[in-house]
Amino acid sequence: MFATYMNSLRESMSRRVALVLFGVAILVAIAFNAVMHVRTAGDGAKMIFVGMQPPMPPAIGVPSVLESELRATGSLWLLLALFAATPLLTATLEKGWLELTFSKGTARWRIFLGRYLASLTLYSATFVLATLPVALRLWWTTGIGTWRMGMALLIQTFSFAALLAVAALVTLPQKGVALPLIGSVAIWVLSPSLALRQETFYRIFSSHVVRGIVDWAYRILPKCSELEDLCVSYIQRGTIASSWPVWSTGVFTLAVLGTTLWALERKSF
Amino acid sequence: MTSPAVEVRDLGKTYRTLRGTAVSALDGVSLRVEPGTIFGLIGQNGAGKTTLIKILLGLGTPTAGVARLLGSSPRDPAARRRVGYLPEQMRLPDYFQAKNFLRYMGRLNGVDRAAMERRIPALLERVGLGDVRKPVKAYSKGMQQRLGLAQALVSDPEVLFLDEPTDGLDPLGRKDVRDLLVQLRSEGKTIFLNSHLLSEVELVCDRIVILNKGKVARAATPDEFTRGTGEYLVRVAVADDAARAAAAAVAGDRKAEWEQNTLRIAPRDRAQLNSLLDRLRSVPVEIEAVEPVRLSLEDFFLQVVSGEEP
Repeated sequence: MFATYMNSLRESMSRRVALVLFGVAILVAIAFNAVMHVRTAGDGAKMIFVGMQPPMPPAIGVPSVLESELRATGSLWLLLALFAATPLLTATLEKGWLELTFSKGTARWRIFLGRYLASLTLYSATFVLATLPVALRLWWTTGIGTWRMGMALLIQTFSFAALLAVAALVTLPQKGVALPLIGSVAIWVLSPSLALRQETFYRIFSSHVVRGIVDWAYRILPKCSELEDLCVSYIQRGTIASSWPVWSTGVFTLAVLGTTLWALERKSF
Repeated sequence: MTSPAVEVRDLGKTYRTLRGTAVSALDGVSLRVEPGTIFGLIGQNGAGKTTLIKILLGLGTPTAGVARLLGSSPRDPAARRRVGYLPEQMRLPDYFQAKNFLRYMGRLNGVDRAAMERRIPALLERVGLGDVRKPVKAYSKGMQQRLGLAQALVSDPEVLFLDEPTDGLDPLGRKDVRDLLVQLRSEGKTIFLNSHLLSEVELVCDRIVILNKGKVARAATPDEFTRGTGEYLVRVAVADDAARAAAAAVAGDRKAEWEQNTLRIAPRDRAQLNSLLDRLRSVPVEIEAVEPVRLSLEDFFLQVVSGEEP
C-alpha cells in the first residue's frame, strides 16, 4: 500500500494537478498575508488590520482572520482537490494499467486505498500550505495561539474524505472522471439544503413520506456545510458544540469506502 | 508426478448482456501446464484466450470450474507474487523512468529494495534497454514492449504469462524475445504464451492448445500438430516429358502433380517413393531435393477453426 501511496503522489505531480494545487495554495497564502497587517498602536497595543475593516485587537482579530480564511478557502479547496484527486482514482481502473497492477501480488483494495490516502494527503498538505502561513504569522506577531486552525483543518478534512469516498464508489461501475465528480459535487451542493431542510425541502414537499426520505438522506449523507460551520465555531470558541456532523460523516466515509474496497475485490474485470 | 504450474478444470465463464442474454466466453476448458515448459495458447479473436488469462491472474472470476495457479487460487495475492504478466495492451504512465517503473512493479510483487536494486540493471540489460536513458513517454512501441517484459520478470517469477510479447517488435527484436523465452525455460521458468504469430508459437512451445469458441479444440505438441501429411515434394533440375512420364508410370493411381520443376506426390509407402526416385534417375533426371510435406501450425489452426479438422 505504501508503494502505491508514494507512486500516486508522484503521479499527481506528473499530472500537474498537485503542482496547480500547490501553486494556488501559495497564491492564497500570499493574498491573505497581503491584506492582513499587525501594527502596534501608539499606546503599545497591537492591532490587526484586514483590508478596509476597522482595526481589531488580537483577541478578536485572530479568530476573525482565521474564520475569514477558512470561509474563503474551505469550499474552494474541497472542489479544487476533488477535481485534482478524482482522476487519480479513476486512473487505477484504466485499461492496460489495471492489468499490470491488479495482476501483481498486492491485493486490489490495498492499491486503491493507497491512492485514496494519497489523494487525502494531497488535499491536506495543500490546504495546510494555503492557510498555515497566516496562522503562523498571527501567532508570531500577536502571541495568541492559532493551533485551533489545525483542528479546524482536520474537521474540514472529514468533508473531503467523505466526498472522495463517494467519487471512489462511483468510479467502480463505469469509466471516466465525469460521473465520480458529478456524484461527489452533487452531495456537496445538497449538503446545506439538507442541513436546513425545514426551510428548503419541507417548503416544497408536504408529504410525510418524502420528508421522511429527506430526513434519512440528511442523516446518512456527509454534512459538509455543518462541518464548515463547526470549524468556524471551533476557531471562535474552542469547543465543539455537537460532534454529530463529525462522527456521522466519519461513519459514512468508512461505510462507503469499505463498500468500495469490498466491491473492488469482488469485481471481475 | 510434479504439481502443475497452471491447472484448469471444466472452467466456464458466462457473461450476461444488459438484456439478460447469456454469452459464453469459456465453456468447460480443462488444461494443465507443467513446470519448466513453454505453453502456447492460440485461437481467433474472441476465442476466450484473454478471458482465460484474466481468470488465471485473478482479474476475472469464473462462473464454473476451477483454476489453480501454482497450487493456489489465482485470487490469492501470495500466488500472484510468484507470477509475472505482460498484458497485450499495456499503458505505461509517462511520468515514469524505466527504473522507477520497475521498482514500483517489483514493490507490488513484494520484492525487497535491495534485491530490486541488484536486479533492475541486469534486467534492463537483458531486455535490451540497458543503454537507454530517456523517460518512458519517449519510448517506441518496441521499447515499451521490452520494458513490459522486464516488469514481468522483475520479481524473478516462477510462471510468466505473456500476451503477444513480440507485438511491435522488429524481426531482430522478435528473435531476441524467442531466445529469451528459451533461456527462461532452461532456467526452469514456466511460460504461458498467448500469441497470434503462430510461427513463433511453433518454434518455442512445448505444448499448444487451440481455443475455439471458448472450448479447447486441440491440445498437442508442435510435432503432433505439424506431423507429415504423407506427401513429398521432389524437385528436379529439368521437368521434361521423359521425367513426367517416368513419374506417372510409378505413381499409378497415387496423387502426383507437377508444379514447374517440383513433383508433389503422395506415395503408398517409402518403397514406392524410392522406386520413383530410381526411375527418375534412370531416365536420367537430376534430383535436387526430396522433402516430406509437413502441415504448418497455421495450416492446422486454420483447419481447426474452420471446422475442417485434419
